[in-house]
Amino acid sequence: MEGIRQICSKELARVFKDGKMLISVFIFPVAIMIVVMSLVSSLSSRAEKDVEAHKSIVYVENAPEGFENFLLSADQECSIYTKETIADVLETEWKKTPDDTQAKEAVKTAIKEGKIDLMIAFPKDFTKRVNSYQAGEEIPQIKTYYNPSEDYSKAAFEVISNSVLESYRQSLLAQRVDDMEELTVFTVNSDNPDMILRDKEKAGGKVLGMLLPYFVTILLFAGAMGIGTDMIAGEKERGTLASLLVSPVKRSSIVLGKVFALMIISGATSVVYVAAMVAFMPQMMGGLSSEELGIDLTLKPEQIAMLAFLLIAIAFLYSAIIVLVSVFAKTIKEANSYVMPVYMVILILGITTMFTTGAPKEWFYVIPIYNTSLTLQGILTQEVTMTQYGMTLGVTLLAGGILIAAIAKAFESEKVMAI
Amino acid sequence: MIEIKNLTKIYRLNKKQMKESKTTNPIKTAVDDLSLTAKPGEIYGLLGPNGAGKTTTLRCISTIIKPTKGEICVSGYEVQKEPEKVREEIGFLTGDIKLDPQFSVDYLFEFFGRLHKVPAEKIKARKEELFTYFGMKDFAQKKIKELSTGMAQKAAIAVCLVHDPDIIIFDEPTNGLDIVTARSVTDYLKKLRDEGKLIIISTHIMSEAEKLCDRIGMIIDGRKAAEGSLEEILHETDAQDLEDAFFVLYKNQKEGR
Repeated sequence: MEGIRQICSKELARVFKDGKMLISVFIFPVAIMIVVMSLVSSLSSRAEKDVEAHKSIVYVENAPEGFENFLLSADQECSIYTKETIADVLETEWKKTPDDTQAKEAVKTAIKEGKIDLMIAFPKDFTKRVNSYQAGEEIPQIKTYYNPSEDYSKAAFEVISNSVLESYRQSLLAQRVDDMEELTVFTVNSDNPDMILRDKEKAGGKVLGMLLPYFVTILLFAGAMGIGTDMIAGEKERGTLASLLVSPVKRSSIVLGKVFALMIISGATSVVYVAAMVAFMPQMMGGLSSEELGIDLTLKPEQIAMLAFLLIAIAFLYSAIIVLVSVFAKTIKEANSYVMPVYMVILILGITTMFTTGAPKEWFYVIPIYNTSLTLQGILTQEVTMTQYGMTLGVTLLAGGILIAAIAKAFESEKVMAI
Repeated sequence: MIEIKNLTKIYRLNKKQMKESKTTNPIKTAVDDLSLTAKPGEIYGLLGPNGAGKTTTLRCISTIIKPTKGEICVSGYEVQKEPEKVREEIGFLTGDIKLDPQFSVDYLFEFFGRLHKVPAEKIKARKEELFTYFGMKDFAQKKIKELSTGMAQKAAIAVCLVHDPDIIIFDEPTNGLDIVTARSVTDYLKKLRDEGKLIIISTHIMSEAEKLCDRIGMIIDGRKAAEGSLEEILHETDAQDLEDAFFVLYKNQKEGR
């Protein structure tokens, strides 16, 4: 036990007493994450504002009388052009007013190029056909053209083509029938603020349950990866491991000391990361709080306890995996290239739970690593049973224990240790 | 007391290693049926050319590698049965074993002291003694990576002696050291010998063996070619110095006598 403690405390001293190490393990990644996320959210909100502030450039063909005014009163920010004025925008010098097809084709090209945002094409005798409509006649059609790859054009289409034209239709309809109510027949949810029925805690758990197993996997494993490979393969490479091997400490104590140290470090990094994520969530999410999202993210004490025990077991297993892989490598570089595929597998298993629906089968909880993602999710959504939880915890600890035994065995092998 | 009985160490080479040593034989016998006894109060020198099996023998004694055949007893403990006990008795040092570059001399000295279960007061006393003897107080707080080769070697020696072992195993003790440091190391080994400790070293430097060792085991191709004090070996081979003696033995072994 004493040997384990000594080895563990030396490995911790390596990280915690070294300023550069502390910065590179804890502060740098967190700072980068926060800066990148806030940058992304501020850039995207700026882009959104820019689109909102943009004056839509709309070309209207055969505009019926009064439509331009109607459009301007609905969307004051837009500039409207017709066949007569379009030459200004297109910067082409038509000697006389262009004919319909010529203008239409020019505008279509301009929309593709992003110079014009939207084209609204009315049929020639639109007003006449609307006014003299008899039952059974063909209904006049308005055609709109836009470019979904252009943000301005997309926004113009959504605002004008979808909603302004709809209200224009309503206004024309109101001229035709006296009682609009008669045509409505029924409404859906026009006055029902309580329509969403859900358990706020469960909903919070659902969101967290989707993201957390994924983040925990990345954080616990990634946090341990760099340091773990250095701890074993790095010591081998530097020739410092042999000095431990000639001390009167059992091989298994060296292994356990290092694995425990790695557990503590990876646990500490994930706590720091999660704390930073929660603290800087408003900045990173562009100012949306959990209340605005309508989700309650608080956890009950028993959920926290279950999570804590499971996370410790996961950290143990991951640390053992990383140490095992590093034992068989001669250099840090080699160890890192061995760890990468393992990391990928763990990531994939983490992602699969993000998209599973329905209740997982009972035997899923026997599959190491995968079961931890399932159970993490289950704890947060409060759907996991005690049997499932116990099974996951047991399997994880057992798998970790088997790996530790394998590592200790490898430590005995002079071939593996390359001494 | 170190007793080696019929030690044989066979390595299996993989394809790459076979290519490197230009052989098609996958089995390499590093040590071949070697027996020797080293007693407390003497400096025993394993002398031989590179690749003779000196380092392999020392590594078997210090439990880093396992003998293929034979038995090694260190202070009455067999290396395969009670490796931890053996490691408690010995201080092992070689050029390949390095100290962690990230830590200070002081930290590592205390760390290995604690690993050897040396009480805190004793660690302090040992530190005072060894650091003073090797003139290490000036750089005790420096990290290993900041030290020169000589300083790092001194630090490694001090660290391996922290638990005041009765048996000191030293692979190429003066390798890479400047003349002044080398002398202080060999002087310290003599001092330890005079205190009644057993020191076993390996070397390929004939003059060092002549000056330092009380008894010499000449090893050629994994086998013991001769054993005894300097006088005994010179007498046996009818040679003027150890170098001549070595070549007599070398010729004999190669001719299969």
